[in-house]
Amino acid sequence: MPQNPLRRSLAEKVSFSVSLSIVGIIVALVCYTWLTGDTNPPILSVTTTEIRQVNRQYYVPFTVSNFGGETANSVEIVARLFIAPATIETGRQQIDFLSRQEERTGEFIFSRDPSQGELTIRIASYQEP
Amino acid sequence: MNEGQNSQRDRPYGDDWRAEIKEIISGASGGFLFGVPLLYTMEVWFIGSYVDPPILLTILVITFAIVLAINRIEGFRPRESETLPGAIAETFETLAIGLVCSTVMLVILQRIDLQTSLSEALGKIIFEGVPFSLGVAFSRSLISGDAEINLDENRSSTQSKSHHTKRSIVWKYTLADLSATAIGALFIAFSIAPTDEVAVLAASASPGWLLVVVATSLIISYGIVFASNITNYRERLQQPGIFQTPQGETVISYLFSLFIGMLMLWFFQKISINDPWFIWLRYSIILGLPASIGGAAGRLAV
Repeated sequence: MPQNPLRRSLAEKVSFSVSLSIVGIIVALVCYTWLTGDTNPPILSVTTTEIRQVNRQYYVPFTVSNFGGETANSVEIVARLFIAPATIETGRQQIDFLSRQEERTGEFIFSRDPSQGELTIRIASYQEP
Repeated sequence: MNEGQNSQRDRPYGDDWRAEIKEIISGASGGFLFGVPLLYTMEVWFIGSYVDPPILLTILVITFAIVLAINRIEGFRPRESETLPGAIAETFETLAIGLVCSTVMLVILQRIDLQTSLSEALGKIIFEGVPFSLGVAFSRSLISGDAEINLDENRSSTQSKSHHTKRSIVWKYTLADLSATAIGALFIAFSIAPTDEVAVLAASASPGWLLVVVATSLIISYGIVFASNITNYRERLQQPGIFQTPQGETVISYLFSLFIGMLMLWFFQKISINDPWFIWLRYSIILGLPASIGGAAGRLAV
């Protein structure tokens, strides 16, 4: 038999009100991000911090950030260490997924001291999701 | 069931809160049962992270409509689903339980933290909240098997019903079969749809192999429902639903499973409106295999 919705108990009315508020807040926040959101393509940057040495290996920590409004897939970071006259060491990293405003960290490892040569770390490519 | 509903209405004031909390916990339990596998599927967080707000709103609206349709025949509450205002209220409650449960789990699993941007957090909450909400809506079927449609009662009194009532019983059986197929198909295929495996399998399948997959899906789902000893085959034949013959039931349920699979693939952004029709067909047939197996297993409960 159909029940009259007006006969809901206080407990049901409270849970309905709370539910309506939760769904309302979620919808309002989605609309807010729609109106104010950044739709620029990914803006990727990589920074390094202090090098550390452990067991004759040199660890170069890096942080990759996406300051754009869209997500980047398969972000490729390439490191190249050149020490005169002809020593070259390279490293390569791939980050599967870097969403908007996200940061990821990692380390490149070299067998020669990067401070004795020229270290280049750059983002080589990414894919659109 | 009406007596049960009336007794729930007549209970003392303090018991209302206890019963309400119990119903919400039961609903949330169904949500966890259905939603947790997708929490551990990386692709779902990724998709949630990059989907645009208009699509998120569309998904919320479609989920609302689907949950409303489920609440008309099922729902996590044992009553009030037969009136539209009641079903709408229950739909808001279902979505809220689903969204809260998914948010809590995403925070516990550290997929949402203080560094997460608002748009990314909303995407993850909504994408993970949909399976949780479906689980809440199906909670009585998933956990207690206490479906809204009381088929046994109808079965015993079919002979004495008028023509009009018989027609409504036919629709009830058909709805029960479709609902069971949807529950089973969603239960099995929802955690497969977002994975890359569907695309990999579809890429390597030639048209001939796709026909083999279709035939296999039909044979397995026929076998589960009609050729195994799990269900009462003779009893199913006497059901007055639109699916009157085993072959008819198998084919229609398969087509329904394909449709459900297609919706899931669109939902997880695996196929888009811009894709050609054969991509839709190819992906749906690949996902249709697990979906139809789930749908067949779901119909065993009817």
